[in-house]
Amino acid sequence: MDKKKMYSNWFLVPALTLFTIFFILPMIISFFFSMTVWNFTDFKFVGFDNFKLFFSENSLNIGIKNTLLYAVLTCGLKVVLALLIAVFLTSGIKSKNILRSVVFFPNLVSTIAIGVTFKALMHPSKGLINKVLEFVGIPGADWLGNTKLALFSIIGTDVWKGVSIATVIYIAGIQSIDRVYYEAASIDGANGWKRFWNVTIPLCRPAMNSVILLAFIGGLRSFDLIWAMTGGGPGFATDVMASIVYKQYAAGFYGLSTAGNVIMFLLIAVLAFPLQKYLLSREVD
Amino acid sequence: MKFNKILVLLLTLLLVAGNLSGCSGSKETKSSGKTDQEDRATVTEGETETAAGEASSDSKWEYKEATLTLLTDGEVSLAGLEAVLALAKEKLGITVEVEQRAGGADGDNIVKTRLASGDMADLCIYNAGSLLTALNPSEYFLDLSNEDWIARLDDTFKGAVTIDNAAYGIPMASSQAGGVFYSKAIYKELGLKVPKTWEEFIANCDAIKAAGKTAILGTFSDSWTAQVLFLGDYYNVAAQDPNFAKDFEAGKTKYATNEAGLSSWKKLAETKEYYNEDCLATTYDDGCDIMANGEAGHWIMLTQALSNIYELYGDQVNGIGVFAIPGDDPANQGLTIWMPQAIYGNKNTDKTEDILRFMEFYVSDEALDAYAGSVLPDGPYCIKDYELPDTAYDAVKNDMQPYFNDGRVISALEFITPVKGPGCLAISQACVTGQTTAEESAADYDADCLKQAVQLGLNWE
Repeated sequence: MDKKKMYSNWFLVPALTLFTIFFILPMIISFFFSMTVWNFTDFKFVGFDNFKLFFSENSLNIGIKNTLLYAVLTCGLKVVLALLIAVFLTSGIKSKNILRSVVFFPNLVSTIAIGVTFKALMHPSKGLINKVLEFVGIPGADWLGNTKLALFSIIGTDVWKGVSIATVIYIAGIQSIDRVYYEAASIDGANGWKRFWNVTIPLCRPAMNSVILLAFIGGLRSFDLIWAMTGGGPGFATDVMASIVYKQYAAGFYGLSTAGNVIMFLLIAVLAFPLQKYLLSREVD
Repeated sequence: MKFNKILVLLLTLLLVAGNLSGCSGSKETKSSGKTDQEDRATVTEGETETAAGEASSDSKWEYKEATLTLLTDGEVSLAGLEAVLALAKEKLGITVEVEQRAGGADGDNIVKTRLASGDMADLCIYNAGSLLTALNPSEYFLDLSNEDWIARLDDTFKGAVTIDNAAYGIPMASSQAGGVFYSKAIYKELGLKVPKTWEEFIANCDAIKAAGKTAILGTFSDSWTAQVLFLGDYYNVAAQDPNFAKDFEAGKTKYATNEAGLSSWKKLAETKEYYNEDCLATTYDDGCDIMANGEAGHWIMLTQALSNIYELYGDQVNGIGVFAIPGDDPANQGLTIWMPQAIYGNKNTDKTEDILRFMEFYVSDEALDAYAGSVLPDGPYCIKDYELPDTAYDAVKNDMQPYFNDGRVISALEFITPVKGPGCLAISQACVTGQTTAEESAADYDADCLKQAVQLGLNWE
């Protein structure tokens, strides 16, 4: 099978050059500097000390734990909630166009603005959420001050913001399902639940896979919302990899923060790549 | 259809015009005091429009028109700086364009990135001491040690901006102290006395708490405020162990194992039950309001807050008293003082001459008079022989000055040794909110300092 090539390999050169300069080279350089103590002018090679530090020190390895928790929870919630919303919005309800816009609204607001707003809403004594709860007679909580609760409060906010994109992808997926499948299922006597479970879900799997991957990778590298709402606090309770990297950089530990970036890169690669393989293998035609 | 096209065109034009005017508008905004983290309003100083010729006639300063840019932390009181800048324009012909940046970790990031990318303003305002060392200043800042006027600087301050015999900065403001603010009204109401020991302080807190008021105000939404108690306790650490700073820098003593050092963390842990319930959501700005209105008994804070309160509430600032963070010995109570932020000159510009001209002016009596005429000092100035003005906040004049008169002051550890753990604020925040014990916090802080020591190339075992 020696098929004759239509184009010369030289056609690859421009793209490859850009890719090498802006992606491969920085990656190699960052792998190198992650093993040094570096102050931009000189560096000292220290082997894997920076990585060891990341896994041994409480204030650093809490980031790995929190990042995973954050990614899994935001991803899971978005996948489930968005599917339900999308099914609702593709059913024959009235004014669904307006509802679709409403669902998409949170995504139009800047993440920092959302963070600042929710931080104010979640203020333990002056915030609207606790005021309303108080009015109803339920004792409020210190949403961002309680170390056990803070990360979950941010996760809730992230889901509120991010569920819209997932919904849009689902809506596209569900609308592309041929009506005949539903008709056939109805003729066979399938009720609404069975149609949802046996027709909608398998056939919108490509959409679901996109949602899972996007939400998961987005969760792994989340930073802005957390930084705006808690800055990683109280203490280190809501620190994720990205916020730790940012803080180490601010402290001038350039080698250490590069090591954090490398860990984040590996984490995303090691988790997202097999996940994608697995998800694609389960798609049906 | 045609109508639609015209409409679209018009709307587009409107949008573009709106954007443009928005940009130019923000450039000219004179933002006083706080700015948002994102906001980098450029303040152009130049209200004193004096004709070029007449200004220089009777002055010893050479008049030559020039423009310098200056990057500053927007969270400090800028009224004094602005007064000096106006005078500099009049006397020297130097117009300084001020750009404000965020404080805290965001500010550190901005400064480091702009230095590394060669995008720093001609003048940069940043902390002295340990944080300056972390900038690698020999690469970026002018060495001022050969200027004649550098001799005017107070020795302690000069020490905090000197690295390897090169001095880099001049004081931007007066020095200040880390101490305990207390509400005179609440103290009077409950018949309390200014405490001389830590035990008496805790007893006062108990009394205020029992009266149903906030005993200690926590403003930990701005996490740096959580470390003031720890850092401000250094006088007591040094009183117990005079060699602490030296041994600590050499890696010979640790907070977790040194009794004097550990006692600071114990104090932090001990205060956790006295804070307001929403302390993690309360900001530094809120704190200024709360203290000015006498709604909390104590606030452990840097005295720069006096100026912030004065700017907002005027004479209400005199309802606040200050005492040093108490130790165990009633006979030896002393104040831990902070060096002001410093002004550094960018080495990599062609404006070196103007920068030096401006700096010499900034530390002159004339400029200091203008500074002091605009904002009252939070502590003594770091210029030799320049006396505090008679008008000062009561807290500075009556409460702080005696410590200085008796020599019972020491500068905070970060100005004595370059080793300061950058995680100090978060570790303190975790400690005062009861997430970690004093011992755990001390150990965390030691680990954090070890990272700094490694970065600085110190040989810690």
